[in-house]
Amino acid sequence: MADVTGATIRLEELTKHFPGQKIAAVDRVTLEIPAGQLVVFVGPSGSGKTTTMKMINRLIEPTSGLISIDDRDVTHLDPVKLRRKIGYAIQNSGLFPHMTVGQNIALVPRMLGWSRSRVSTRVDELLETVGLDSVEFRNRYPRQLSGGQQQRVGVARALAGDPPVLLMDEPFGAVDPITRGHLQDELIRIQHELHKTIVFVTHDFDEAVKLGDKIVVLREQSHIAQYDTPEAILTNPADEFVAGFVGAGAALKRLTLSRVRDVEVKPFATAGMRDDIATIRRAAREYGADEVLLLDERRRPTRWLRREEVRRGGAGLAVTAHEVGDTVTRDATLRDALDAILTEGGGKVAVTGPRGEYIGVVSIETLMGSIQEMLEADREAAREHLDELEAQREVQRVEEQERAGHEDGAHPAESDQR
Amino acid sequence: MSGGPVRPVGSAVDAETRAARPPALPSRFGWTDFVVMPVFLGLVLLVLWQWISHQDLDPIERVTLAWPNVRRRIVEHIQLTALSTVLVLIIAIPLGILLTRRQARRFAPFALALANVGQATPAIGLLVLLTLWLGVGVKVAIIGAVAYAVLPVLSNTIAGLEDVDRQLVEAARGIGMSMPGVLFKVEFPLAVPLVLAGVRNALVLNVGTATLATFVNAGGLGDIIQDGILLQRTVVLIVGSVLTVVLALTVDWLASLAEQGLRPRGLRNGG
Amino acid sequence: MSFWDYVSSRREQLWIETWMHASAVFQCMVIATLIGVVVAIATYRSALASRIAIGTTATVLTIPSFALLGLLIPMLGLGVAPTVVALVLYALLPIVRNAIVGLAGVDPQLVDAARGIGMNRVMILLRIELPLAWPALLTGIRVSTQMIMGIAAIAAYVSGPGLGNEIFTGLARLGSANAINAAWAGTLGVVVLALLFDAAYALLGRLTVPRGIRG
Repeated sequence: MADVTGATIRLEELTKHFPGQKIAAVDRVTLEIPAGQLVVFVGPSGSGKTTTMKMINRLIEPTSGLISIDDRDVTHLDPVKLRRKIGYAIQNSGLFPHMTVGQNIALVPRMLGWSRSRVSTRVDELLETVGLDSVEFRNRYPRQLSGGQQQRVGVARALAGDPPVLLMDEPFGAVDPITRGHLQDELIRIQHELHKTIVFVTHDFDEAVKLGDKIVVLREQSHIAQYDTPEAILTNPADEFVAGFVGAGAALKRLTLSRVRDVEVKPFATAGMRDDIATIRRAAREYGADEVLLLDERRRPTRWLRREEVRRGGAGLAVTAHEVGDTVTRDATLRDALDAILTEGGGKVAVTGPRGEYIGVVSIETLMGSIQEMLEADREAAREHLDELEAQREVQRVEEQERAGHEDGAHPAESDQR
Repeated sequence: MSGGPVRPVGSAVDAETRAARPPALPSRFGWTDFVVMPVFLGLVLLVLWQWISHQDLDPIERVTLAWPNVRRRIVEHIQLTALSTVLVLIIAIPLGILLTRRQARRFAPFALALANVGQATPAIGLLVLLTLWLGVGVKVAIIGAVAYAVLPVLSNTIAGLEDVDRQLVEAARGIGMSMPGVLFKVEFPLAVPLVLAGVRNALVLNVGTATLATFVNAGGLGDIIQDGILLQRTVVLIVGSVLTVVLALTVDWLASLAEQGLRPRGLRNGG
Repeated sequence: MSFWDYVSSRREQLWIETWMHASAVFQCMVIATLIGVVVAIATYRSALASRIAIGTTATVLTIPSFALLGLLIPMLGLGVAPTVVALVLYALLPIVRNAIVGLAGVDPQLVDAARGIGMNRVMILLRIELPLAWPALLTGIRVSTQMIMGIAAIAAYVSGPGLGNEIFTGLARLGSANAINAAWAGTLGVVVLALLFDAAYALLGRLTVPRGIRG
C-alpha cells in the first residue's frame, strides 16, 4: 500500500515489573502491530493494557524487552524526543485548560520547530480534519466546548505533528454513548484518509469490534489471550476467557462488522408530497406494495403512507401520515440499521445518500437473510481455520516423531521427559 | 496586625478569594504531630535556662528577669489571651449564625467586606487609637484584641455555615426537623471544623495582640521585650522573646489538640 | 488642628512614609514569592516534604511579630534588616502553602498528557503546572501582602521604615494635640495602602489568569 503513513511497531518480550509488586504488571509480551492498522488492546481493568501501551512512548519505562518502531529500537532514544513523534490522546481529552484550542494543537508542531505560518495552517487543517470549524473554534478555551468537541480537539492535537504512530488510551471513555458513536465513526473516517498505525486501548469490547482492524485480547499481566481480526474473535474465540469477554450476543455484535452497503438496498414505492391520491395508488401498485414513502422536493424521505391511508385517500394525507423517524446511510452498520427498523416499526428503514436524499430501503427480511449468510460463512471460515490448525499440528507431530525416532538412542531421557 | 497568624487560605474571605480557594492538602495527623512540638518547646526552655544560668547578669537584668516578675507577665499574658478569646467567641459565633439565617442573610456581605478591611487594619494602630480615646489599661488591651479578632472568626463562621451542603439542609427539613433542629443537629456540627479553625485563629491572634498590650500599659510578655529594647539589654530581650514564642506555640498546639478532639467523628480525617 | 490640616501640613513626611511602607512591603513580597515558589517547587511532589514546608512556615506565622523582631534584633540590630527578615518570614506561609496546593492540585491526567506529547520536566513545570497553579499562588500573595502590611507598622518600633512611625509618634505624644491625628494618619494610611494593593492584585489577576481557567 503506497499511502500507508504508519510505521510497524514490534514488541519483544516486553516486561514491566513495578517496584514493590510481587508479579510483573506486563509479562513478556511479544506482538507485532502492522503499519497502517488500527489495533485495539482490550481486556479487563488491571490486565496491563494501558501499561503496555504507555511503554511504547515510554511514559512507563520497560523493565526489560525491546520496542521497535519501523525496525528502529526506541528503548534507547531520548524519551522526550520520541514522544513528539508519537501522537497521544487520552480519556477526558487532556486538553490544557489555560490554553486555547489552537494553542493546544500547536504545542507539538512548535516543539518540533515548525515555522509560525506552517503551524497556523496545520491547526486549521487539523480542525477541519476532525470536523470542527476553524474560525469558530481555534480561539476558544477547552471549557467552552462540549465533551465530544473536546475529544475531537484531543485527537487533533495527537495528530498535530503528523506522527506515524498514534496511541489512544480510552479516548472516548468519558463521553455519552451517542457522542461516542459519532467519535468512533469519525475516527474510522480519519483513519481511512491517513492510514496511521494506531494503538487503541479500551475495555469496551463493542468499541474494539467496531474500530479495530485487529484486536488484542489481554488477560492479567498482559498475556495475549487472542490476537486476531474482530470477525475471527467473534466467531472463534480462542478460549473460555475470550469467550467470556466477547460475552453474550456475539451474533448481534457481528452486525457491527457489516455495513448497509454490504446488503441489498431495494427500491420502494415513492411519491411526492404534493402528488394526488391516484398517483400514489399507481406507485403502490407498481411495486406491489401497500405502503408508499413520501419524499419532499429535495427527495428526502418525510412520511410513510400505511395501507389504510393509501386505500382511504382523502385530503391532508401528507400532514397526518406517519413521520419518518430514522434513516440510515450506506455507511451505517447493520446493527444501526436493525435498530432503526425496530424504531420505525414498519419492518423497513429508508436508506439515504450524502445529502439525505432517498436511495432505497432495507427491510427486516433482507437483514435476516444477510445475517444467516454471514454467520454461515463465519462458521465455514472457522471450520477451515480449525482444520488448517489441525493439519499443521499433524505435520508437526509427524516431524517430531520422526526426529524423536532418530535421536532416540542418543537422548533417551529427553523423550521420557516429554 | 500583630502576630499576623491569619490562616491564609481559610481566612481570606471575600467572594473572589473564596472561589479561588484551593482544596486543602490531604494530611494525616499521627501521634508524632502531637509529640514533636512539646518536646521541641521543652528543649528550647531547657537551653534558655542553661544559657541564662551561665550569664553574668547586671542588677537591672536581675530585677527584670526575677521569677516573680516573669511569672506575673506570663500570667497576665495568658489572662489577656483567654479573656479576649472567650469574648470573641461569645460575640462572633452567635453573630455568624444570625447572619446566615434567611432573615439576616443580606447583611452577611457587609460583615465580610468589613472583615476584609479589618484584616488590613494594623493591630497596633487600633490599640493606639483606642488608648487615645479610652486611656491606657487592661480594658483597652482587651477591647483592642477583641475588635481585632472578632472579624476573622465571624467570617470563618459564616463561611463554615454557608459551605454546608444546601441539599443536606433540605434533606433535614424534608424529614421534618424544625429550624433550630436543622441548625444545631445538622448545620452547626458540619461547620464545626471551620469554626474550630476560627477559634484557633482567634487564640493565635490574641496571643499576638497581647504582646502589644505593653504599649497601653496592660502588661504581658511584651513588657519584657520592650524592656529589653529600651534598656538595651540583649539577655532580657531574648528571654522575653523566647518566652513569648514558647507561649504562642504552646497555645497553638493546645488549640490544635482541641481542633482534632472536638471535630465530629464522621468529619475527622485529620487536616 | 483638624485631621486634614494635619495631613496637609505634614504632606511631605506622610508621603515619604507611605512610599517607604509600600516599597518595603512590595520588596519583601517579591523576595518571599521567589523563596516561596522555589520551596514549593522543591517540595510539592513529596507529601512529607510538603507537610514539613507548610508546617515550618505555619509555625513561624504563629510567633507574635513583636517577639520575632525581638529575636532578630540581637542578630541583625535595629532598622531595616530585622524588618525585612521578619516580613519575608511572615509572608512565606500563604505563598508556600498555596503554591504547593496549586501545584499538587494540577490534574495528573494533564501532566500525563503533557509528558505524552513530548514535554520535558522543565517545560511541564513552566508551561503547564505553574500557569495552572497561578490563581492559587496569587491568592496566597494577596493574603500575605495584607498581613505584612500590618506587621510592617509594628516594625517601626525597632526603627523600621513606614507608616508605623506615625502610630508610635501618636503613642509617644499621648495627650498632645496632634497625637490622635498622627495615629489616625498612620492607621488609615496602612488600610488605604492595603486596599490599593488588593485592587492591584485583582487587576493583575484579570490580566494574567487565562480566560480558560478563570473562576
